[in-house]
Amino acid sequence: MAAGIVDIAVPEVGTPIDNSYFESIGLTDEWIKRRSGIATRRWLAAETSLAEVAAEACRPLVSRHSDPSGIGALIVVSTSVQQRVPAVAQQVAALAGLPASVLAFDMNAACCGFVYALAAGLSFCDAGQARSVVVCSVEAMSTMVDKTDRQTACIFADGAAAVLLTSRDEFAPFRHLAGSDGTQTALMCETGNGGIHLDGAAVYDRAVQRMTETAERLCAFEPRPSVLVGHQANGRILEQVRAFTAELGVPFINLIENLGNTSSASIPLAFGGALQDATVASQGRLGAVAYGAGEAWGGVSVSYGIG
Amino acid sequence: MSDIERRVSDIMLAKLRVREPALEHTDFDKSIYDLELDSLDVVELTQILERELKVQADRRQIGSFMLLEEFRSYFVLLASR
Repeated sequence: MAAGIVDIAVPEVGTPIDNSYFESIGLTDEWIKRRSGIATRRWLAAETSLAEVAAEACRPLVSRHSDPSGIGALIVVSTSVQQRVPAVAQQVAALAGLPASVLAFDMNAACCGFVYALAAGLSFCDAGQARSVVVCSVEAMSTMVDKTDRQTACIFADGAAAVLLTSRDEFAPFRHLAGSDGTQTALMCETGNGGIHLDGAAVYDRAVQRMTETAERLCAFEPRPSVLVGHQANGRILEQVRAFTAELGVPFINLIENLGNTSSASIPLAFGGALQDATVASQGRLGAVAYGAGEAWGGVSVSYGIG
Repeated sequence: MSDIERRVSDIMLAKLRVREPALEHTDFDKSIYDLELDSLDVVELTQILERELKVQADRRQIGSFMLLEEFRSYFVLLASR
């Protein structure tokens, strides 16, 4: 018996923003697609409460759970929360109908947040500290970017998704990999005046190398992943990782065209999207790989059975 | 042209012809900035050469290259070691 993913919710939030929005800053649809693979993304209204959005993702998992009192922990992952105190997780727990006994906390590891939270949540289950755990990523990256910045405005997007973790007899133990290099903080960081600095070519280079290596290492563990989902950072990054991992023979999901880069929410959004369109089976082994600001990178190989 | 020079050239052309279908071996005296390449294409080209040739390139040195010939010569040298 081991912990795995047994449910997922990917609510459609915000408003679609297609590439024509960026014509005012001189970016064409063709240029954006060539540089990023993105055709459209969703942005939340500026006044939207991220706690409400996260609760929208968590609520179905709670209502579908046979015993909500067994959900012992809630990890809310976000890079873009509007406030640090109080944390968002307690508000989300209340709004989603979780028991007052839940261990609820926020986590921020930029684009790696979901992978790290998944490892933490699965560890809670496997250690017997919680029967079930909810991991929810919620992002409003549109509130962090300078919407006149030609390099980043069209890349980042908003979204939320949540997964429910529980132990099952048929699941194999999860495996995780992690890494960080705090000397590389300048690659991606807030500018301090309402924007995100991104060293595009260097980030591309390092993201491809880190995610490829992580995917290869995850696939060396048994059981091997049946599907790989990388952080949906940029379509060019995803296609290069897909090409470099092709010999592994594991499908690699790229759904960035209609998602954009939603930071920590991108992996569960892409995984949920692939489940919805039946690109991947409802039961299998997920290999999630991420790279992001910090710099931080990592991966999780985890069994799943949805439905 | 030696075998390794031909191999490096072929790898480069396979990648570059995605952007410049008419590119030939005789075009290696061209500047990368005269081609329809963007900054990510240059990184992709470097990564593909590294992977195919099983070598590790110095990113600072790569950043100083202007001509396709400089890429070819550098990777021929790395692959010959």
